[in-house]
Amino acid sequence: MNPDSAWRLHPQVSVRPEPFGALLYHFGTRKLSFLKDRTLLAIVEGLGDARDVRSACEAAGVTADQQGRYLRALDTLAESDMILEREAA
Amino acid sequence: MDSKQIVTEAETTAQDAIEVDTLVEEVSIDGMCGVY
Repeated sequence: MNPDSAWRLHPQVSVRPEPFGALLYHFGTRKLSFLKDRTLLAIVEGLGDARDVRSACEAAGVTADQQGRYLRALDTLAESDMILEREAA
Repeated sequence: MDSKQIVTEAETTAQDAIEVDTLVEEVSIDGMCGVY
């Protein structure tokens, strides 16, 4: 995941916050993704309004040394179409 | 759709889940019974 790229939640994905993090359900692919971290939920929810992924991570309180872990998680969500790339603002 | 039921069903089939990252775990609900 390129931290300078911009993404948004797929319009067919529903997000339900849970004590462990969140549950994402894709109505098109019928896949469930468990986000096991509230910080990742904050990133995902902020993606659509953030200038880029880096900004979304920073807004969620992710430090530079933590960013790689979250970028890999976003890669996983991108591969399963939970998030879609958009043009950078 | 009872989403609470989906969560329970998905967790009981955790052996089918492919853990691709410690932060994200994915499950397909296709093939599950009693979910819809």
